Amino acid sequence: MEPGKPSGNGSVRVARERQLGDLLVRWSFMAPAIVLLLVLLAYPIFYTIDISFSRFDIATFGAGAWVGWDNYREVMSDYRFWESLKVTMIYLAFALPIQVVVGFGIAYLINAEWAGRGIIRALFIIPMVVAPVVAGGMWRMILDPLWGLMNYWLGFIGIGPLDWFGDPNLAMAAVIIIDTWRWTPFIVLIATAAMLALPKDVFEAARIDGCNWWSTLWSVAVPLLVPVIAATFVIRWLGAVKMFDIVLAATYGGPGKATNVVNLFIYEEAFRSLRFAESAAMAVIVLILTMVLTGLFLRASRKLEELF
Amino acid sequence: MTAAATVAPQRVRSQLGHRIRIIAGVLVSVVFLFPVYWMVLTSFKNQVDIFTNPPTFLFTPTLETYIEYMSRADVMRRLANTVIVATGAGLLSIVVGSMAGYALARVRIRGAATFGLLILLSRGVPPIALAVPMFLVARKLGLTDKHITLILAYSTFLIPYVMWLMRSFFLSLPRELEESAMIDGCSRYGAFFKIIVPISLPGLLSTLIFSMILAWEELLFALVLTNRHATTIPVAIAGIAGDTVNGANWGALTAVGTITVVPVVIFALMVQKWLIKGLAEGATKG
Repeated sequence: MEPGKPSGNGSVRVARERQLGDLLVRWSFMAPAIVLLLVLLAYPIFYTIDISFSRFDIATFGAGAWVGWDNYREVMSDYRFWESLKVTMIYLAFALPIQVVVGFGIAYLINAEWAGRGIIRALFIIPMVVAPVVAGGMWRMILDPLWGLMNYWLGFIGIGPLDWFGDPNLAMAAVIIIDTWRWTPFIVLIATAAMLALPKDVFEAARIDGCNWWSTLWSVAVPLLVPVIAATFVIRWLGAVKMFDIVLAATYGGPGKATNVVNLFIYEEAFRSLRFAESAAMAVIVLILTMVLTGLFLRASRKLEELF
Repeated sequence: MTAAATVAPQRVRSQLGHRIRIIAGVLVSVVFLFPVYWMVLTSFKNQVDIFTNPPTFLFTPTLETYIEYMSRADVMRRLANTVIVATGAGLLSIVVGSMAGYALARVRIRGAATFGLLILLSRGVPPIALAVPMFLVARKLGLTDKHITLILAYSTFLIPYVMWLMRSFFLSLPRELEESAMIDGCSRYGAFFKIIVPISLPGLLSTLIFSMILAWEELLFALVLTNRHATTIPVAIAGIAGDTVNGANWGALTAVGTITVVPVVIFALMVQKWLIKGLAEGATKG
């Protein structure tokens, strides 16, 4: 400490205080979100894990005695759980690729330059903001075997009448059709924006080099779009694994259990059968499956991005 | 001569292709809009016109179903609940989420990147994994069937959504804006609320509207956390669609459905430009 400079000490302290104050101010921007998400998101997840390892106590309506892996063992040997996972997989395996391909296809069509392009693109917002439960209900009406418009129209080309909600395969098809109707516009909007952002000169060069439209598509457009396609797939995947509303309104899992996706199954087990501990175990399994698959998809999309 | 002959058909062909593309695009959008049109149309039919074979496009429109259902206290109440919850959840999330988004974009905080990644991951959490514990806790605390419970539940997916959208929005603003404000003696808060918020108003407003739409149409939490007083419209629609005892009441379904969808469509079309931009950015940068 130099005796000649007493003020130096004080200004260091002031500076430090100011720094501390600044740190607090910086964190105060983040703090409300952190607190809310800890209480409302992190805590419930830990509570779910807690319940999944306990016997559910109906008297206190909370986690009771610790039972280890019992709930998991029980759930894993429940064929209905596996069935619902299988149904979910089938839905995802059809819906996701169909929606991405159809979405990018439609985006190509509606990106044709003409006066009405902006209006058409805006109109594609409409299905996207129809509440999924409304979408399920209204399609149920359109696909009604007796009075529905779809069967009436299909009759003209000699198909049907199809029992959309009575046949297991057709019910799954119906769910995929409704989901595709509701979500493809979302992909169309992302895809149109991505296509508009493509560099024009590359296509000009391809045209001058005499590429036909097929090779232009496959060797110029698709490689340029791969990152967006991959990202769209991941976003859509994150939405699709939450599939609940549309199935609930359109088929309620039926006929039998043909469209009983895992979220609906867990919901029923928890809130109809009051098997909260088993439901919590299933929810944890689904959570882990989702996280692992999301991680894999993110990885794959990064790889694809590097490749092209 | 030969050159002209080869060029001309090609141009004709590409022009034809262009025209086919336009026509196909219009047709596809008609196909996608038709179900909504059919729902709105059906809501103006009376019971006799709904159940006709073949389905009819020509009928005398009537407001019968609307009058019947809109005068019912429970429908009006649910509509009011939906407005309250969507507005509350939207406002809470836009304030909390945009401040956090600003922190992620501009304020250097150690550990912020990790937090951002965690929030991105949280989008993968299945809502059912939250619904079970939320129901149990809300029951214990006597908070079921209250607006605030739904508002808080919705903020679990709205805050991350707002954070992510607003983060990319704030990143696109020039850094000099708040730097010069802070040199002029503004505090960090001053820079944010007096400079950044006003110029981000279009983005904030559109994000708010879209958050409200997401809250407006949410079903699972509403089913689980409410049962009478705070129930929202999607629960009512699920009830009408799933009524297997009386058969689906299509008049009620389409009328209530139309009332649910129309305001949302109007709001969404109002902010469509930003919406499309936000979607595209969310996809490429998210």
